[in-house]
Amino acid sequence: MANANTNNTEAEHVSIDSEAAHVISAVEECHDDDDVGALHDVVQGLPSHAVKDLLSVGVCTRCILRLFGIRGNIYSISAISPSILNSVIGEQRHGEDISSNSKESEFEEVLCALCLGILQFTYCDDKEIPVKKESANDMAVAISELVKREGYQIDSFSLEVSVPPIILENEHSVRLYMKRKYGTEPWFQGGPFSQSISAKDALKFSLAKPLETLLDCKSGISNFRIGLTFSHKASKVVQSVAVSKQGCKRIKTGNSIDSLDDSVAGDIKCSDLADATVERSFDGLQDNESSECFKFPLQKVNDACHLVLLCQRTPIYFGGRYLKYSRNVSQTRWIIDDERMGEASVEEIIGSNIQPLCQGDNYKFHAAGREDIDVRMLGSGRPFLVEVQNAHRIPSEAFVREIETNINNLENKLVGVKNLKVVGIEGWTMMREGEAEKQYAALVWISRPLEDVDLDSISSLKDMQILQGTPIRVLHRRSPLQREKIIHWMKIERIGGSSQYFLLHLCTQAGTYIKEFVHGDLGRTHPSIGSILGCRAEILQLDVTDVKMDCFLTE
Amino acid sequence: MKDHSVDHTINLEHEQEQEQDSLHRILVPDVRDLPLTPPSAIESNFVSYFAPDFTKPGHDQYVYRHANGLCVIGLARTHVAFKDTSGITAVDFNVGKSDRSGIKVTGKRKKNAQHFESNSALCKVNTDDASYIVRCCVKGSLLEVNDRLIKQPGLLNSLIEKDTLLLSCQNQQIGSKSRGRYWALKSIRN
Repeated sequence: MANANTNNTEAEHVSIDSEAAHVISAVEECHDDDDVGALHDVVQGLPSHAVKDLLSVGVCTRCILRLFGIRGNIYSISAISPSILNSVIGEQRHGEDISSNSKESEFEEVLCALCLGILQFTYCDDKEIPVKKESANDMAVAISELVKREGYQIDSFSLEVSVPPIILENEHSVRLYMKRKYGTEPWFQGGPFSQSISAKDALKFSLAKPLETLLDCKSGISNFRIGLTFSHKASKVVQSVAVSKQGCKRIKTGNSIDSLDDSVAGDIKCSDLADATVERSFDGLQDNESSECFKFPLQKVNDACHLVLLCQRTPIYFGGRYLKYSRNVSQTRWIIDDERMGEASVEEIIGSNIQPLCQGDNYKFHAAGREDIDVRMLGSGRPFLVEVQNAHRIPSEAFVREIETNINNLENKLVGVKNLKVVGIEGWTMMREGEAEKQYAALVWISRPLEDVDLDSISSLKDMQILQGTPIRVLHRRSPLQREKIIHWMKIERIGGSSQYFLLHLCTQAGTYIKEFVHGDLGRTHPSIGSILGCRAEILQLDVTDVKMDCFLTE
Repeated sequence: MKDHSVDHTINLEHEQEQEQDSLHRILVPDVRDLPLTPPSAIESNFVSYFAPDFTKPGHDQYVYRHANGLCVIGLARTHVAFKDTSGITAVDFNVGKSDRSGIKVTGKRKKNAQHFESNSALCKVNTDDASYIVRCCVKGSLLEVNDRLIKQPGLLNSLIEKDTLLLSCQNQQIGSKSRGRYWALKSIRN
């Protein structure tokens, strides 16, 4: 065994030098020293012959650490290099300057056979240019610059990493090999290999702390996702080895590894789901697999992985209630044959005032029910949600109030908004909660003068059931059905100066067609106002005066 | 000591009252803007076509076409059937090959809707003396018939518009060749 103490000092000396050699380190030195100390302790505890074995096979330093189940922030230490491990395995460098030597060994020329350079911070960017970051911190800098360049305003972030499936395959091969070779040794019995950390997690360990410092916020569960997707250009085979009666059975779930046809293979980007599938198939493996079932030694690779960096915010929601004052504004954008129906739409008026202030990619409008273009929405308003995708900024409460004021102060006063605020996913459940009663005011004309007894006969009807055939005006796009609906109450309000016009106030079950209830739709809705009053009834105007739902009310 | 909660409640009530008042003001129309007799639902939403003497003299029918392509077909008031003193006594949908009242059309795609030509028979109306065949007038798929007329054929006699023979027919062809070819289509509009 090597002289641990001597090498300790040497290695320490080396690591401080390497720190000085690398710029842009936001980590304080004393903090770093603690980590370096911890690193040395950890490294001392590793079985040297196994480490040497792995190094010789072409496994990089971080991969070795993670195979042994080491966790934590030490992955972000720039000092990690084979020279650290050398201190354990006792190889001495002869006659050369230690600092220059350390620099050399920092730039590992050979890509790790296990992680394909991912944990060596080596990759090809989207312009196909090979990039070699010298430390986790440098890579974190590249990421944070992207976040800042795209103008995201964040208070937390979550890292998501996706790696090519061949890495899992490689890992499995290595683990099997190690088990066979060292399975009987005491250190293996403790099962360090069974607690190996995945390449994804190791990369996250490497990048999390430097990113937290650079972005000045915490990493964890967040609506802002930084996605690192690694893929390898050469075709990959995901060989799931399943147990069968004969022993080893090979199932190909990808393209053949021999064909390097890019057009066929493309980039196989695996999602977390695919990873789980691969891992599960490996779990089912038996020990007595023949050695043909995995490749060892691992195939050397010359090309680094292709990395796609993607920043994405999960959708944010604005909830509130809208009012529609115009009889020429549709709820959603309505275009027939390149021609817009109506003057504007509620969706566009509200959405176009919200989306740009969030710098989102686009928006979606959702409302709790709808009304016709010629029907006004008054009173407490109708609940709605605006979903903004990939918002770069999330407006503050004050800003949201400003948006509401802006919409309400628009010159043409077509639409109004109440109680606008940012809501979480609970906004959805609030909107979906059951079907609400609605209250209306209709301007009705009848073919004879209104009489006092009419007011009573209408008011006396409570929870009256009606049967509505699908109105002719929507029959072209809805199923022909007979729908039972309930009219909860009605009240006639006389209009001064007219004997045949009056205001009908009514409260009905959700889904009732009010216009057809008034004029009867050629007898297809009965009873109707006309049939109850025994004359012809026509509806001139309709207004929604209340949508009885609990969400987005004034507090 | 002033009771602020009471004040607050009073303020809230006052606010709500004000809201109700302003709402009410928007709801009530200006009587001066209202027409003496407003257009009927048919007049506002359909284009009315009159087909006089369809295939036979005196067989006057109407077709109301909605903007969405659906047509309502019925007997015009001047139809010869109404000239019989007894009025219409029976309506029978069992003509041609099938009973039109028995067809069940379902779903958005209107499955099972039977396709008709303009001279296909829709039903028969009977008076004491005679029987008249009502035809489709337009080419299209029949969606529904007014089966209330089976039990209450007398509804037709009342000549109230809503109870005239009514069949909804989905039609894409009206206004094209059928117009000039078969009959004089007159658009009746005020």
